[in-house]
Amino acid sequence: MLGFLSRFFRPRQCLDPKDPEALRSAFREHYRHFRVLLTANNNALELMSVADERLHADKPFGMGVVRGTLTALAANVYKMVHALVALSDGRYKDLHERFRIITGQIEVILSHQPEVKGTAMILAMDEIGRHDADQVGAKMANLGEIRNRIGLNVPDGFAITAVAAKHFMEASHTQDEINRRLKMLDIDDLESLYLVSGDIQDLIRHAPLPDDLASAIATHSQRLTREGSLRVSVRSSALGEDGALGSFAGQYRTHLGVGTTAIPSAYKDIIASKYQGQAIVYRQQMGYRHQDVLMGAGCMVMVDAAVGGVAYSRPPDDPQSPWVVIHAAPGLGHQIVDGSAPYDLLHVSRDSEQDIVTLGLAQPDRSCLATGQIRELARQAMQIEAHFGSPQDIEWAIDTEGRLFILQARPIVQAVTQPNPERDQARMSITRPPLLEGGITASRGIAAGRVHKVGCLLDILNFPEPAGENAVPDTILVVETPFPDWAVLMDRVCAVVSESGQAATHLATVAREFGVPALFDLSDAFTRLENGQTITVDATARRVYEGRVEELLQFTEEKRPSLMEGSPVHTLLKEALTLITPLHLTAPDSPFFKPSSCRTLHDITRFCHEKALTEMFNFGHRHGARDRSAKQLSVIGMPAQWWVINLDDGYREDADLSSPFIRIEDIVSAPMLCIWRGMTAVPWQGPPPVSMRGLGSIIAQSAMNPQLDPAVRSSMAGRNYFLLSKNYCNLSVRLGYHFALAEASFSELLTESYVNFQFKGGAADERRRQRRVNILGDLLRGIGFRVDIKGDSLTARIEKRPVSYLEERLVILGYLLIHTRQVDMVMDEDAVVARYLDKLQADIQKLRTPSMEKEMTHGTPP
Amino acid sequence: MERPHNILLIDDEEDFLQTTSRRLQRRNFEVRTAPRCADAMPEVIAGWPHVVVLDVMLPDTDGMECLRRIKQEKPQLPVVMLTGHASMQASLQGLERGASDYCLKPIELDELVEKLIIAYNDAGARAG
Repeated sequence: MLGFLSRFFRPRQCLDPKDPEALRSAFREHYRHFRVLLTANNNALELMSVADERLHADKPFGMGVVRGTLTALAANVYKMVHALVALSDGRYKDLHERFRIITGQIEVILSHQPEVKGTAMILAMDEIGRHDADQVGAKMANLGEIRNRIGLNVPDGFAITAVAAKHFMEASHTQDEINRRLKMLDIDDLESLYLVSGDIQDLIRHAPLPDDLASAIATHSQRLTREGSLRVSVRSSALGEDGALGSFAGQYRTHLGVGTTAIPSAYKDIIASKYQGQAIVYRQQMGYRHQDVLMGAGCMVMVDAAVGGVAYSRPPDDPQSPWVVIHAAPGLGHQIVDGSAPYDLLHVSRDSEQDIVTLGLAQPDRSCLATGQIRELARQAMQIEAHFGSPQDIEWAIDTEGRLFILQARPIVQAVTQPNPERDQARMSITRPPLLEGGITASRGIAAGRVHKVGCLLDILNFPEPAGENAVPDTILVVETPFPDWAVLMDRVCAVVSESGQAATHLATVAREFGVPALFDLSDAFTRLENGQTITVDATARRVYEGRVEELLQFTEEKRPSLMEGSPVHTLLKEALTLITPLHLTAPDSPFFKPSSCRTLHDITRFCHEKALTEMFNFGHRHGARDRSAKQLSVIGMPAQWWVINLDDGYREDADLSSPFIRIEDIVSAPMLCIWRGMTAVPWQGPPPVSMRGLGSIIAQSAMNPQLDPAVRSSMAGRNYFLLSKNYCNLSVRLGYHFALAEASFSELLTESYVNFQFKGGAADERRRQRRVNILGDLLRGIGFRVDIKGDSLTARIEKRPVSYLEERLVILGYLLIHTRQVDMVMDEDAVVARYLDKLQADIQKLRTPSMEKEMTHGTPP
Repeated sequence: MERPHNILLIDDEEDFLQTTSRRLQRRNFEVRTAPRCADAMPEVIAGWPHVVVLDVMLPDTDGMECLRRIKQEKPQLPVVMLTGHASMQASLQGLERGASDYCLKPIELDELVEKLIIAYNDAGARAG
């Protein structure tokens, strides 16, 4: 029993102050734990910034990155907790539990699985409506809606639900195998992408369909069979597809003319197409995890098509347009979206007149459609738009008996650019003749880059690597035909040029979504453009120029649209970060500054850092060790008193440790000496004259708030402390009404080299204090700090830089600590502020001179 | 900062073993490799490595079990866990069982070297 209890009540070691050896080694051990904690703190804070930046940047990121970053973060916080518990001889054990709870919650968020709704494996077309999208996918749900609610012709058929797909994958254990392979995949390595993709698709195609699903499919096919024979189309209808967040156009396969016995294998192939190369890349770019896309499929009776094609209820780049756009070709018109067939292009006015404008014909002098058919088609397109409430992209076919069928409808992803008269002006002023002119704007915009022609799969494998983290791609994809297969390259190019095809192709849809300018149907483009050639593509004006046309390129400031916003991965990261980055613990003096108040990982790091400092500070005190307790810095002429605590090896070997004072000459802490040099470099000139208004605000403030700065540790209230060792320094300063904390660590390892700075307060009113931190923030950013301002509080950090870089910044920080205080009393006088800023800048400039860098002597008191 | 010299890499990915060991050797480390835990244990028992780099997904015994064995033999020997995919549970479990640090593949060589040095020096602290 006693043994059990002793695990919880380890008595505080009472070290004999007369045993210096034991004391020293105990202290050393504490100090090592302290350093471990500091390094982990530094890593954790950096990772928090990284994660936060990811959330707000435009670059896509995948689940792997999210998990990697957050796991590393958790590992570092774990180390902090353990270091603190060791450092404090077992206190704060409650932190373990808090940490476990918070990381448990984060893990739950990260492994969130989308819910598969419903129980039915198959739904007949007659039963389907819009609200069934979460079972059958948007494609089939919309078709059901069009058939059953709007009452237009949609071929009969049935939908195979996401539940069925899940059942199929689980029963055959295929999903586990797939997950295993995907985990190791680097999608930027196209060769391995295609290999793994091929393997996965084979796995699915060869997996057996569960008996219940196979017989359900058979039953429903029977119902569709007319006069003994049945041909169906089998298409993907993924959940999450065709929504506002992404069209997923052309990402999955379609099977046409499938006979009854072939339906199961066609279905498996559709499911397999989820793992096509371009689908994997597309998901990555759009912020979807593989498990976020649930595959449904639809079987529909084949239309014996005489004519078919695509209709846009409004042109993709003009939601206000008065025209309906129709593409038509003989047969099913499926080749239109694949970009491989010539077609009729018609505009029909949306008013009652229904004027028809023919913009192009597949066969000269022969229109695919009769006037009546054109108008009926336009009417139905507008009907569908009205029903769904937004412009629609519609696939249609007219059978040999003249009946119009709707085969697919989805919202058009709008990519609208703002009108810009300057840009139009620039266009007109260009004197050089274009290399190529004409074609069709598939996606608006202007870009310049080097040509890379792609004619076959091998060319894809040789495609230039994606640009680095923050770089813009400078490659232009040039093809003969805009096959959807090329979509896998969309994140590596700044523009697309195709000799054929038009705006209704899948590739164009994806280009618009990604904000990549695309010019199609540009005759001879493939033959006339050379690999490596630099060109400027103005897709909007339908021109291609030799070289870079800077007059035009200045108008490409429009950012690529943030594809990730609102996507599943983005949302997961956002949710996980609510348990990580918000800081609730702020005031160390508050009774709420304890483990049970920690709600986020940031709270835990704050708690650990603060308590670790307190522990180190108190160590000397507690054990009555003269050499470890605070000594006063003996210096004349500084506007404050400075106290020093030696954490390890911060004093010179032969320093007189019995004295309550310590001389600056006896301090060998490199970071501390840098700060000191900055503090003493320019003589203190006293506070600036205070205006009457400024003074009034200070008096009012002081009256309201006796404890002006709750951020100061009460044990150290009223004093300024250096906690130091040879390579570490932590300085907390209270000068006038401000509180500042500077912490620096020097090491040969970048991981352990950093400078942190926190600043808060000031005696003047809120507005002035805020203005001051803004000015301070600008000054710090100017010398390389990463700055974060909240209200009148500022935190600034520099991480992982060589010591020489940090030294220079610390000197300037030391200077700022002394010289900016109380300036905010006069913040409302712009002229005075400007004068002080000039002085600050000039002084900083002086501090940056190389000659000062060289001399590492101690600052001499003025 | 003391620099460890003998590094033992335990990983079932041949590519990773080859590339990483070459790169570490260029940085003046002496490197031995093992594709499975069983192959690694003799080195551990003999006391050769200063730091062990361990992949948590090993074929013959899972990484956690290997970690346990190593710590049983040499409690003070620092082990840095490496993994190709992140699992918060796995990494925290590893740390709880005595791993010094946790890294995600692919890892930059500079970062790995610093982690090895830190792990080596921290272990010294714990021992002392």
